[in-house]
Amino acid sequence: MQLSDIHSLILQRINSGVLIVDADINLVYFNRFMESHSQLKSEDVIGQSLFDTFPDAPEKWLKRKIQSVLMLNSPAFSSWEQRQYVFRMRHARPVTTSSEFMAQDITFIPVCNQQSNEVEQVCIVIDDVTDVFFYQEKLKDTLAKLEQVSRMDGLTQVANRRFWEERFKIEFASAVRHQNPLSLIMFDMDKFKQVNDIYGHQGGDLVLVEATRLVQSMLRKEDLLGRYGGEEFGLILPNTGGKGALELAERIRKAFQVHPMKFKEHVIHATMSVGVCELDNNFKKYEDLVTRADLALYQSKRDGRNRTTLYRK
Amino acid sequence: MKDIALTEDQRDCLQELINVAMGRASDKLARYLQTFVHLQVPYIELIDSQALPERFAENYAEEGVSLVSQGFYGERGILGESLLIYKSHDAHGIAEILGYEPDDISEVEQLTDISSILTTTFLNGLAEQIDNQLAYSAPRIVSSVDTPLEQHLEQLSFNWDLALKVDISYQVTDYSFNCDMVLLIPGEAIVNIQAVLDQILDEF
Repeated sequence: MQLSDIHSLILQRINSGVLIVDADINLVYFNRFMESHSQLKSEDVIGQSLFDTFPDAPEKWLKRKIQSVLMLNSPAFSSWEQRQYVFRMRHARPVTTSSEFMAQDITFIPVCNQQSNEVEQVCIVIDDVTDVFFYQEKLKDTLAKLEQVSRMDGLTQVANRRFWEERFKIEFASAVRHQNPLSLIMFDMDKFKQVNDIYGHQGGDLVLVEATRLVQSMLRKEDLLGRYGGEEFGLILPNTGGKGALELAERIRKAFQVHPMKFKEHVIHATMSVGVCELDNNFKKYEDLVTRADLALYQSKRDGRNRTTLYRK
Repeated sequence: MKDIALTEDQRDCLQELINVAMGRASDKLARYLQTFVHLQVPYIELIDSQALPERFAENYAEEGVSLVSQGFYGERGILGESLLIYKSHDAHGIAEILGYEPDDISEVEQLTDISSILTTTFLNGLAEQIDNQLAYSAPRIVSSVDTPLEQHLEQLSFNWDLALKVDISYQVTDYSFNCDMVLLIPGEAIVNIQAVLDQILDEF
């Protein structure tokens, strides 16, 4: 076999699109990969304008790109990361990937006249990187899920302590800077040890899940409920003063005491004690709110549980 | 590999080749971009791989910096990486310089496009003079304003000790656009460049 025959065989069989345009951006070559994926025939497109052949291609951008290759005698590139595709075509994995069109990495290569060394044509090589695109998208989804998981308490699906504190720090700084009200509600299940002793840990878990679900349903979008530890929870309320926070706390407490929870053949009734504290000009850090809401919470416990206390200096 | 050093003749020769390549690049760029591109006198040095992150940190510490890398390789073992570095407040009007409508092209693509044009026009000019043909990998964004450069470099372990480093600054005064190009020719490839330089010196 002649070397030139081998070259044209490779060009026809290679798993990349190869097309060549002249200085007027008319097609002079179109390999088999291009034919099969674009469903166009070589003999129909040779001599035609590239832009008539691919009317969806970004004409102005492509012209400038090809012009740079012709004038500078240097290659140019296009990556799927910036442009998923330039030439809209089907790809070879319609069954096992989800994207509709072929993701493409493209190289524009100058083709010089042997004698004059002037660039006469531009060879455009299109690599199908649908796989890369697909796996990159999957990776992105996975990372987003991981981030979500790293913020959540596994049992109750509310914010875990680390994420809750992170957000509290930000809310605190923003409230102080803009002189906005900010309140914190801390609540703790009453006699939780007893619940665990009577119904077992699964019963206890159910109480925590039901309590957080109930509270969650009573919140605004900007409020953040987090599991502070064990059976204690914290509720950050931006743009809310002590009065509003106390009202909400009471609504939550009352709703929970009449919220029966079905566990196997039992119905569990539980209550919570609540402490509320609002931002004061003297507070230096978010922990100052936590300490005081906790003091109010212990006051509720001392006063006989299932009640709400607003912290007062 | 640590005992590589450029002789004074080799350094002068390389400097001369780079000057000519810069002239050719400037000329071509002016015609294509229809604006004058000023290239500043290059700085050539051999640099230790361990010193590299620190050197970048010194030069580009406080500001948001984007870095685009493009690999190049040619005959006789010539290869390396070209790094284009853009300080965020300097990288203005790239779309206009390139002759694109701002809607035609994303910011990242503006950076990769201009990087590729600056790198390949300069290196093609260099390659012509040493009778070499260079090929290039696609330009890639290595770090952007969100992922600091030195942080990125510190995470790498290089498989070379020493690199030949050439710094060139580009200015497009009509658009108050500046950027730096850092060519890094690592390890074995330095010896290959030296062989090419010696050959030119012999023929001289």
